[in-house]
Amino acid sequence: MNCPIKSQENTEWLLEYSANRLDKERTAMIARHLQICPECARFVEAQRRVWDALGRWEPEPVSAGFDRRLYGRIDALPASWMGRLFRPLHPLWRPAVPLAAACLLIVAGVVLHAPKAVLNPADSQVRVEKTSAEQVERTLDDMQMLRELAVTPAPEGSSSKSM
Amino acid sequence: MGAAAALDCDAELMLRVKDGDEASFGLLLDKYRASVSHFLYRMVQDQAVSEELAQEVFLRVYKSRETYEPTAKFTTWLFRIATHLALNWLRDEKNERAQERLDQSTEDGPAREVADRAATVEQQMVYEVKVEEVRCAVAALPDKQRAAVLMHKYEEMEYSQIAKVLSCSESAVKSLLFRAYETLRVRLAHMA
Repeated sequence: MNCPIKSQENTEWLLEYSANRLDKERTAMIARHLQICPECARFVEAQRRVWDALGRWEPEPVSAGFDRRLYGRIDALPASWMGRLFRPLHPLWRPAVPLAAACLLIVAGVVLHAPKAVLNPADSQVRVEKTSAEQVERTLDDMQMLRELAVTPAPEGSSSKSM
Repeated sequence: MGAAAALDCDAELMLRVKDGDEASFGLLLDKYRASVSHFLYRMVQDQAVSEELAQEVFLRVYKSRETYEPTAKFTTWLFRIATHLALNWLRDEKNERAQERLDQSTEDGPAREVADRAATVEQQMVYEVKVEEVRCAVAALPDKQRAAVLMHKYEEMEYSQIAKVLSCSESAVKSLLFRAYETLRVRLAHMA
């Protein structure tokens, strides 16, 4: 690999190597390079000193009243008109959502599992057949009646006319 | 970026805050209260100011909840707010100090340093001399370099994330960090 300092390429690898944050492959590359490059080795040594020194700097813990003050400021914020409008309902609508969902499920269940008026094709066929038989019977009756009428002698006037 | 944001559980929490879940805001506060406050303390080196700024950061997060969109990692957004506030405070503080120097130009004595102002007698007792040196060395860094070093060292942020926070390119961040650490290596060379 090229010397990161001399070539000014991948200088961040040296920083990350010093912080033990470089991936395995690059760590191995840098480690090999450090054995032959005293300049980079000095760089890493100095950078590790800086890293350790920065690590000693611990700030004070956050004060105990931090959250109380923050929530006090949040409560003092002017609410938007939408917020003001729905704020009184806020504690109510949240538990109402699962309740409404449960009701919806029940209604859906009832609708889906209600007994359906299933059309039986056989019934319709029977009805059709029944209707057809009646019609046939009626037609036969009509034919019978017509036949009887034809047998009945026609009035005289009408027969002479027809002759 | 969208996919990464989708996996960001903090962004998920923030979306719940957006939906009115106050408890999720509490979780985010618990998670980042210390890191934001410490970052700001190391930036401005004044305990009272850093806590005030940290309050402002979380207040802004809360106020922005309705318009929040997870377009980046939550921490990127959070530290962008924090860095913006810190850099603004430092700029105003510098202007104020410059004005004070003009006003007190006839008076003798050294100009007030950020570290000197922050360091009370109690703090001197608590902190070791070496830590004080570190503090001074960091305080002497240009503001953006300092922000980059603090995010790199203490927040363990990737170069790409620091670039987003500072609104600059990744190569600019590499350059900022290289120069900043170069300065620190010189200033802290004597520390074993």
